[in-house]
Amino acid sequence: MAGVGFRRWVEALSKGKRSGISALLSGCRSASGMTKDSLPGPYPKTPEERAAAAKKYNLRVEDYEPYPDNGEGFGDYPKLPDTSQQERTPWYQWDHPDLRRNWGEPMHWDFDMYTRNRVDTTPSPVSWSSMCKQLFGFIGFMLFMFYIGEKFPAYQAIGPKQYPYNNLYVEKGGDPEKQPEEVKHYEI
Amino acid sequence: MGAHLVRRYVTETDTEPDPSKKFEFDPHFGFAERKEREMVASQEQMNLAQVPLEQRDYCAHYLLKLMKCKRDNWPNFLACKHEKHDWDYCEHQDYVMRMKEYERERRLQLRKKRIEARAEAA
Repeated sequence: MAGVGFRRWVEALSKGKRSGISALLSGCRSASGMTKDSLPGPYPKTPEERAAAAKKYNLRVEDYEPYPDNGEGFGDYPKLPDTSQQERTPWYQWDHPDLRRNWGEPMHWDFDMYTRNRVDTTPSPVSWSSMCKQLFGFIGFMLFMFYIGEKFPAYQAIGPKQYPYNNLYVEKGGDPEKQPEEVKHYEI
Repeated sequence: MGAHLVRRYVTETDTEPDPSKKFEFDPHFGFAERKEREMVASQEQMNLAQVPLEQRDYCAHYLLKLMKCKRDNWPNFLACKHEKHDWDYCEHQDYVMRMKEYERERRLQLRKKRIEARAEAA
């Protein structure tokens, strides 16, 4: 069986115009790196080039704004707002509801960063300043209360605990050679 | 509840005793005869039983009995309720004695202040 399979494979390879090995290699090559089609084009300089680039990325010319041309390799790729997919409404019928994205829509350069289980740019319901005020207000209040508790400790209205054997002189690490100060406790 | 704290920090700051400091009056003052507290368990017994330092008080002999009972009746944890009660009662008496000591100190402080005020007025 294996011999028959191998011969068929060789026959199928040799039917093509190129020889088997080079056909295999070209197949390998196309599977790695980006093709010319998937790379951005050169930075648009004239209004016509801008219009062509905007059309290429399914954008209106007013909305099209490429990354600045400072040699970072963005080319004519459009600079889209840095908003996460989580920010988009879930109630709209997206073509791809999981990604909240329509077919043919231009993709952010860092789209993989802004998918719904990664960076979320949704504004928080409470403003940053009020969050800071609440947090540091609470911490400050607690520190103040701990300070008060340290200054004015609360205790029960009882005398100190009485221990035998000179308040456990030896047990608490006193020198057994020396005669400790005698402590007597009385019943009351 | 907390009246002593109000006296300590607000109303009677000069006479309310501070338990973290040594009480200043002679323990025999005002008593004809005072019985000294009696310690039953010896240091060696407590060492052998590995009693924690904070439990080596005047009730340690009840604690030793309770621990022995617990050990002998394991795993019947309900067996030692009499020993437990004896120890708890002893600790309660100890606590009451400390309350009385505190109150004695407080009243003696008030008395001292009263006498001083009278001497000044005279």
